[in-house]
Amino acid sequence: MNLFLYLDKESPVHRLDPRTKICLLLGSFVAAVLFFQPGPLSALLAVLLLYGVVGKALGNLQRIWYLLVSIAIMSMVSWSVFTQGSTPLFWRVTWEGLRYGIGAAIKIDSMIISGLIFLSTTRTEEIVLGLIRLRVPYQAAFAFSLAIRMVPSIIGTAITVTEAQRSRGLDLESGGPLARLRKHIPLLVPIFLQTLRNTDQLAKALESRGFGARRERTSYLEIGFRSGDALALSLGALLLAFFIAIRFTG
Amino acid sequence: MPMIRLDEVSFRYRGGTEPALSEVSCHIRPGELVGLLGRSGSGRSTLASTLNGTIPHLVRGDLRGHVHIGGQDIRGRRPRDLADRIGFLFQDFEAQLFSTNIALEVAFGPENLAVPRAEIVRRVERYLRMVRLDALRHKLPSGLSGGQKQRLALASVLALEPQVLVLDEPTSDLDPTGRRDLLDAIQDMRSGRSLTLVIIDPETDEMGWMDRLIVLDRGRVALSGTPAELWDKDEALEALGVKGFTLARLASGLGLRERWPDADQAAAAIRMAGWRVDATAADRLRKADARRAEGEILLEAKDLTHRYPDGTEALAGVSCTIRRGEFVAILGQNGSGKTTLVKHLNGILSPTAGDIRLLGQSLRGQPTTRLSRHVGLVFQNPDHQIFAERVRDEVAFGPRLQGLSEDETSRRVDEALEAVGLADSGHLDPFVLTKGSRQRVAVASTLATKPEVIILDEPTTGLDHRELLGMMALIQRLNEQGHTILIITHAMAVAAEYARRVILMRDGRIVRDGSTREIFANESSLEALGLTAPPAVQVANRLAVPALSVDELVGCLTRATNPPFHQSTAG
Repeated sequence: MNLFLYLDKESPVHRLDPRTKICLLLGSFVAAVLFFQPGPLSALLAVLLLYGVVGKALGNLQRIWYLLVSIAIMSMVSWSVFTQGSTPLFWRVTWEGLRYGIGAAIKIDSMIISGLIFLSTTRTEEIVLGLIRLRVPYQAAFAFSLAIRMVPSIIGTAITVTEAQRSRGLDLESGGPLARLRKHIPLLVPIFLQTLRNTDQLAKALESRGFGARRERTSYLEIGFRSGDALALSLGALLLAFFIAIRFTG
Repeated sequence: MPMIRLDEVSFRYRGGTEPALSEVSCHIRPGELVGLLGRSGSGRSTLASTLNGTIPHLVRGDLRGHVHIGGQDIRGRRPRDLADRIGFLFQDFEAQLFSTNIALEVAFGPENLAVPRAEIVRRVERYLRMVRLDALRHKLPSGLSGGQKQRLALASVLALEPQVLVLDEPTSDLDPTGRRDLLDAIQDMRSGRSLTLVIIDPETDEMGWMDRLIVLDRGRVALSGTPAELWDKDEALEALGVKGFTLARLASGLGLRERWPDADQAAAAIRMAGWRVDATAADRLRKADARRAEGEILLEAKDLTHRYPDGTEALAGVSCTIRRGEFVAILGQNGSGKTTLVKHLNGILSPTAGDIRLLGQSLRGQPTTRLSRHVGLVFQNPDHQIFAERVRDEVAFGPRLQGLSEDETSRRVDEALEAVGLADSGHLDPFVLTKGSRQRVAVASTLATKPEVIILDEPTTGLDHRELLGMMALIQRLNEQGHTILIITHAMAVAAEYARRVILMRDGRIVRDGSTREIFANESSLEALGLTAPPAVQVANRLAVPALSVDELVGCLTRATNPPFHQSTAG
């Protein structure tokens, strides 16, 4: 089972320089935090989905749709209940509160989808190289890539540990909240200890392959700006300018 | 000048009471092949870790003496400073791979050493070809088999072009083919240039091609010599907790003092010495098998299919029947679906299609706990389940979850700890125990829930010779007491000696299912699945004897009263 998000495909987005994609990612975040209304945020989401289609990255959406939907529902419910407004709909929910909730839902989901497209189309090694070229120290950039790598390895450990304890009769589905929380101790202890052991093993493997031996290191991967990057960056800048314009003109 | 020189090296782990190494001195020539043997805790891995500075830089403790590599004292050098001279290959192939692409994995080391890009490209090509992964380079590392992953790890170490390669149990998690392919790749690469090898491997039978074997015991060199010199030192090796050469044990059982490189020559020499097959003894073996009639059908799998969410089909229509009292070994290469199958038998996984019956009753729609009460599964790595601070509490976890009274739980914990030989360790913290004892705690945890069927996934991986014998004796005892046993294993000798039935799997299917004797008698069908018969069985097959162990084989041979002549074929 592949627990990494990266999709090894051929697409115009895959071919972009990682620095370009980092800029586009940051640009989409800026656009998302500009707005609170569902209208422009939906436009942003549409642009992102189009970007995802071009990058053949939307297949990964099915892996996180559960997260996206729960965030959307949580946000709509909580903002609806706690935001004051002048147009009551039912109970204490107002039209303004609901609109704000929908806007917040699209905003958060858009940012997650933008991040997902980035990770689906960019190798961890490319991200590291991109960050280095953007003057991030190698050690810090590599730590970032290790963090990305740790996620699937911890998930893998968690799956095995859960299966092992369930086969001993652990039933995680029954009982009150406190009882359920206590039931997670037999899961958390082995997951934590196993992750520590794996990290220790990884540290030995990294050192024995010369990690950090030289101040400068060379790179097997080659990245560079091409015409596609110029096109993508100008399109991105144009869209961002457009979003900023509607935000501050009305 | 020796490539590796140890001068009175001693090491004590921080917080350790006993030294892990005591004044070890030895010289290893350039290009020499050295095998390190010894029971767990004898200092093998500790010694290896001193060679590239992992000790004392990553593992803290008190190091004395001097380690010289290529004439240079490495005191004060970190592993990364020595990476271009000493390569390390570890047992856990997952933890050594961290790239998203095969070529990038190999390039990682040379990149760190600032090797020019053109040279990195050359090395990536060269070493991927050497480990025969060049055709798979478009694959993701996560999609490789265990054996392929370990070969990729080897290529990525070789790309640093070290003069010394240290391999710490590199084949323990591999199936026989994966193991052979890795060892072949290592031998290929030595033909090109001088490379000093230090290998830790618990399987003495695999060490015949070394120049020298060093046996450690309690941190000291206890025995050292060429494989030929240690050939008939079976007793001395056993006393140090190390398995002797199987063929040597066979030779001494037959009163022969000669060294056989392989099963063909062993069989020829045994015939030459006047040994003949005792037909009645062979019949007795077969009859003893037939006498062990098994009970009623406990578990029945029908057309089990399991597809993972990403579309891989881990099981493609598996049907089998398990009877009460059986001892079954499930064999097959890494990724053939063995573990997925037993997870269905225990109810952790539900089939995409097909059905499991327990005592004739279908379990479709039943809660999974219904099955897990009858079928206990001991996972491969005990560290994936141990969480309690005391052994007793760990073992009591299952009975408590079943809602048993404290009295009953306590009784069951006592019984289970007694059964696994840990009756005196109940009050200890499981993490101070050895790997072998932690494995026993995991078995006890399953035993305490009193399942009728006990499944063990790779119960002997990572255990030393004595721990392995102890674990298998325990499993056999449980079987004799009425438990139905299923084991998954890569250790062919374990399957041959202990199991009475063998299920062979490939690509999510059962390809053969029969008595252990039948299955092991047909070596070519085993080899077609990437498996090999253990040495004793190979010799037995060449002599047309249905024996599964050295003892059975010796029992089936008889010497003509007047052998034509007695000739030694040593050479």
